[in-house]
Amino acid sequence: MKTVLLLVLKDIRRFLNDRRGVLLTFVLPLILIIIFGNIFSGGNETRGKSSLILVNESNSIVAKLFESKLDSSKSLRSVKFYTSENGKDQIKFDEETAKEWVRTGKISAAVIMPKDFFEDTSKALKFRFYYDPKNEIESYVIQGGIQQTIFTSISKIIPILLQRRITARLGIDSSSLFLNSIGNIMGKYFGEKPENYLKNLTKVDSASLFSTSKDSSKENNFMSGVVNFDSEQLVGKRITNPGLTRSVGGWSMMFLLFSLTGAASSIFEEKRDGTLKRLLCMPITRTQILWGKYIYTIMLGMIQLLVLFVFSWALFNVDIFSNFGNLIIVIFSSAAAAVAFGMLITSFAKTYSQANSIATLLILVMSSIGGSWFPTSILPSWMQVLSKGTLTYWSVEAFLQVLWRQASFAGIALNVCILLSIAILINSYAIIRFNRGNI
Amino acid sequence: MLSISHIIKNFENVNALKNVSLNIQNGEFFGLIGPNGAGKSTLMNIIVGFLEADSGKVSIDGEVISSKNIQLRKKIGYVPQEISLYLELSAYQNLRLFGEFYNLTSKKLEEKIDSVLELVQLTDRRKDAVKDFSGGMKRRLNLAASLLHDPEIVLCDEPTVGVDPQSRNAIFEMLSELNKSGKTIVYTTHYMEEAERLCSRLAIIDNGDVIAQGTLIELINLLNQRDTIKIQKTSATLNKLPLLREMGQVTEHDFYYEIIPEDGYGQNSKIFSKLEENGIPNAFVQLSRATLEDVFLNMTGRSLRD
Ligand SMILES: Nc1ncnc2c1ncn2[C@@H]1O[C@H](COP(=O)(O)OP(=O)(O)OP(=O)(O)O)[C@@H](O)[C@H]1O
Ligand SMILES: [Mg+2]
Repeated sequence: MKTVLLLVLKDIRRFLNDRRGVLLTFVLPLILIIIFGNIFSGGNETRGKSSLILVNESNSIVAKLFESKLDSSKSLRSVKFYTSENGKDQIKFDEETAKEWVRTGKISAAVIMPKDFFEDTSKALKFRFYYDPKNEIESYVIQGGIQQTIFTSISKIIPILLQRRITARLGIDSSSLFLNSIGNIMGKYFGEKPENYLKNLTKVDSASLFSTSKDSSKENNFMSGVVNFDSEQLVGKRITNPGLTRSVGGWSMMFLLFSLTGAASSIFEEKRDGTLKRLLCMPITRTQILWGKYIYTIMLGMIQLLVLFVFSWALFNVDIFSNFGNLIIVIFSSAAAAVAFGMLITSFAKTYSQANSIATLLILVMSSIGGSWFPTSILPSWMQVLSKGTLTYWSVEAFLQVLWRQASFAGIALNVCILLSIAILINSYAIIRFNRGNI
Repeated sequence: MLSISHIIKNFENVNALKNVSLNIQNGEFFGLIGPNGAGKSTLMNIIVGFLEADSGKVSIDGEVISSKNIQLRKKIGYVPQEISLYLELSAYQNLRLFGEFYNLTSKKLEEKIDSVLELVQLTDRRKDAVKDFSGGMKRRLNLAASLLHDPEIVLCDEPTVGVDPQSRNAIFEMLSELNKSGKTIVYTTHYMEEAERLCSRLAIIDNGDVIAQGTLIELINLLNQRDTIKIQKTSATLNKLPLLREMGQVTEHDFYYEIIPEDGYGQNSKIFSKLEENGIPNAFVQLSRATLEDVFLNMTGRSLRD
């Protein structure tokens, strides 16, 4: 036992002497966590919004409604003016300039509400949307934001458009007969004055358009309730930094795999440098050497993860303490599995550099399909099956459970079991190989 | 006694050791000489238990070395042929780290570290990282690291490669000193001069076989060719051929005569004085002694350093 302890101490001393190792293990991941932290914590500020140009050439009150909705959007920032070349004047965008800006990459999208956006005789709303899909995520955000704006305003416009279409189809006389009948029927069954329904169907005024459901009359509600969108966030409501909380586990796991594979394959370095031989000629057994390496590597991994989490907590409010016990369990099993992975590579590779390049390739693949970089739910379904074959998947899911869903141990038991089984199986195999002198 | 009996070791396509047996007495300074690839290091690795022999066994005072008997390794100090040190650590840290595995008390270990550093003359560099050492300094530390636990047997695998003559002498003296203090030393090299100078007994190993063993004189006596004396052809020597013939067998070359003296090894001084008496000054006479090199050449038909 004392021998193993000495071997562990030896590796710690060597690690502390290796500035590049310390840098790669702690500093680099920290810098990346800080960058991601800043990206994700900017959610409520302007710089976190996606910009688009908004050109409103219509005088219609409906256009005003859209404009005001876009202005108050949480995800979009509408730009309406630009600064002239002499730098003095603020000039309102027109359609051509907006297109030019999108074309030259100054902005990702422009929404035009032309003069005939909505006129007295319009039977449809006319938008023109220009975009540059250079950045997939941003285009999703912008298109989603615009759709949301239309979606939440549409209920007020639909009855009017409907009425106009009916009129166009049936002619003035028949249509007013039709609408009157509807008004009467509605009045008969819903107990309101038929005129109110009619008024609602034909009139476009600011009072009814800009009213919120609270102050609107019943007849307003009748149609506006057509789209009833109740959303409630069930998970992560109280989480202060959702973005980083969701992603910190994934990134940490990738760094963990890198550093621990490096640490495990340092057995090659010791072989190359002859120090392994020296150790093996001392009163030390091969098994002790392997255990020493194993304990040291798991410790290093746990410390690395803890440091990353504590920093995420200190700098970006990621809540690690309310489920700390389970977090430690997940950290331990992830580290154990990651070391096993490193040992497996080590036991197969013939040299240090071979081990490193195989490991890098595998880690990148596992990280991408296992959910370190983005949620596995965006992968094609056959890849999602593959992703369950990576240890990254089980560990990233476990971190999500603990940090994001605040799950109890039951929620992570399966993941922990799988990770520990991987660890035990692979390590027994590595020990057998090493004892045979194959490493 | 370090007893090596019937060791056979094969690698994939090489028969590295073919039935090697050697007995090395306690307190001996034993040389193992042979060209590159002879199997010297392989034999060392088997003695220290780093490699397992295909068959045969190694024992120290009757105790057989095996992977189960790791305490026996404490009797051996092994100086690997390659530098086997943590390059990023300092000299002191390396010694401390290796020493700790031998269960010495901290105080004892510190004393030991001081004394081995003194021995290899690295005391003033103890705090420097080994990677900044010169090749010779690394070699010396490599040696020091194997002496911390006061081993009974010190195995040195070519400890002087890349060491300057001064440091080399220091190492020789140090090893002789250790030997005098009672330690058994096994020393591999392909420098015959080193072996001649240091070793009380030698084994010549080639292609995995021990082809000869014994003291230096025993080995040289295996040669039918002994020391030779070369005499430059000058006006003074021109008419002396009959005299030379008395001394031994003479062959005539373009610029010199070569004599293989009749009496054999150890009689050379007589010949020198006799030549001088007959008007041939020592300046024209050159003695070439038979060396291990000649022994090797004679036994294998090859020179050692091809
Ligand atoms: N691990 C190994 N795998 C395969 N062959 C090996 C291995 N180690 C040594 N050999 C082979 O065994 C033979 C003996 O090698 P060894 O290192 O014992 O020679 P040596 O006498 O120490 O030579 P040198 O003077 O160059 O150090 C060589 O042919 C070598 O190629
Ligand atoms: Mg060798």
